[in-house]
Amino acid sequence: MTSFAAGWRIQRRVIGALMIRELVTRFGRENIGFLWMMVEPLLFAGLVGIMWRYMHGPEEHGVSVVAFVASGYIPLTLFRHAVTRCTRIFSVNGSLLYHRQIKVLDFIFVRFLIEVIGSMMAFVCIGTLLYLLNEFPMPADVGLLLAGWSLYCLFTFSLCLVLAPLSELSEVLEKLLPVTTYIMIPFSGTFSMVSWLTPEIQQVLLYSPFVSPMELIRAGIFGDRVNAIWDLTVPISSSLILTLVGLALCRRIRRQLVIE
Amino acid sequence: MIHCENLSKRYPMGSGHKQVFQNLDLHVGPGQRVGLLGRNGAGKTTLIKLIGGVEMPTSGKIRREMSVSWPLGFGGGFQGSLTGYDNARFIARIYGHEYEDIRGFVEDFTELGSQLKMPVKTYSSGMKARLAFALSLTIEFDCYLIDEVIMVGDADFHRKCHYELFEKRADRALILASHSSELVRGLCDRAMVLHEGHGRMYSDVNEALGIYADL
Repeated sequence: MTSFAAGWRIQRRVIGALMIRELVTRFGRENIGFLWMMVEPLLFAGLVGIMWRYMHGPEEHGVSVVAFVASGYIPLTLFRHAVTRCTRIFSVNGSLLYHRQIKVLDFIFVRFLIEVIGSMMAFVCIGTLLYLLNEFPMPADVGLLLAGWSLYCLFTFSLCLVLAPLSELSEVLEKLLPVTTYIMIPFSGTFSMVSWLTPEIQQVLLYSPFVSPMELIRAGIFGDRVNAIWDLTVPISSSLILTLVGLALCRRIRRQLVIE
Repeated sequence: MIHCENLSKRYPMGSGHKQVFQNLDLHVGPGQRVGLLGRNGAGKTTLIKLIGGVEMPTSGKIRREMSVSWPLGFGGGFQGSLTGYDNARFIARIYGHEYEDIRGFVEDFTELGSQLKMPVKTYSSGMKARLAFALSLTIEFDCYLIDEVIMVGDADFHRKCHYELFEKRADRALILASHSSELVRGLCDRAMVLHEGHGRMYSDVNEALGIYADL
């Protein structure tokens, strides 16, 4: 038990130190510093929301277009950033592995955590702002919202666990990633509720691990005004499988890693 | 104690691989000082990296029953884009020390002055060596892993290292990869000669240096 407590202390120390280091190297200490981490998701969600508002009008299917797009875009940017930032993460941070208490999993976890915190801050920010402008409802069920968000994060993280070691093996992966994350947008549940689509498409979309968490998020925000459909087996089981595969891959790649 | 048993390390090379060494055994007890000798590419740095846990052996086992420093060389352990002070902060955080406690020593030992506010990538190798040594001395390890390339500093740096590491911490274990017979003779009580993938330990340092000179 004491060794577990000691290990936990070291783990917290390492994560904290890596977080600070990452924030300082990425955002510096000038002007707003680490607050930059929420600026990008904020701008994305805000600007795309405004664009849609002018293209589609103020409301569609009974919900505010800006609120709907913003609530979809923040998870999507989290996913795209997390996935892009985990490529080649072992070799980029290789010099940190000189310190044995730092493990490769810490790299993936820390970068992911920064993206998650940044997106959540952006979510709260834009939600509050739009609420004040009467464009965003008070979340109908915060529990559902958090459950959907956690599930979305879980799946994204488990995917990072697989992509990070694979990107060390092949540069092709890194090159294909941007186009893949773009192509998957229609399967991400970002721009529509499942119930708005035809039954055939609904069946296909529910196989995408992003769609059910996204439905939960929407149900948590808009409540009865949307008809949310979800199936938790797909995101949970795919996350578990990816995590297992990812952990095994990380371990294997770590053994072969060549560090300058 | 540090026990290395049956270590082998291979690197992929083209379609095949390069065997750096195989079936290597090395045991280092508290306070023992071991020199590693060998020609360029014989695997001295690789062995030090394996003992430090930076890279993993292809096969074999390493058990560390005392605290072992990170390998002191040029490359590792630093964040080039961070300043000297930020690196010190980082080291203090991950090893659970108070930054305020180590700052004074780092400033005194490195004598880098305001340069500590600059990113480490702007440092000369001598300056990096000073910072690396200062940081590892603040943590207090039972065993120090040192790659000779880092002994590039000026006379003043050598004097300081000698005092801090070899006099004040004379009870610590040491594994030193070196080409300098003077250094190995002066500091080590055993030496291993690495040649063609095999490591052979000599309890007589002069004998090891003789073998090394004839390679």
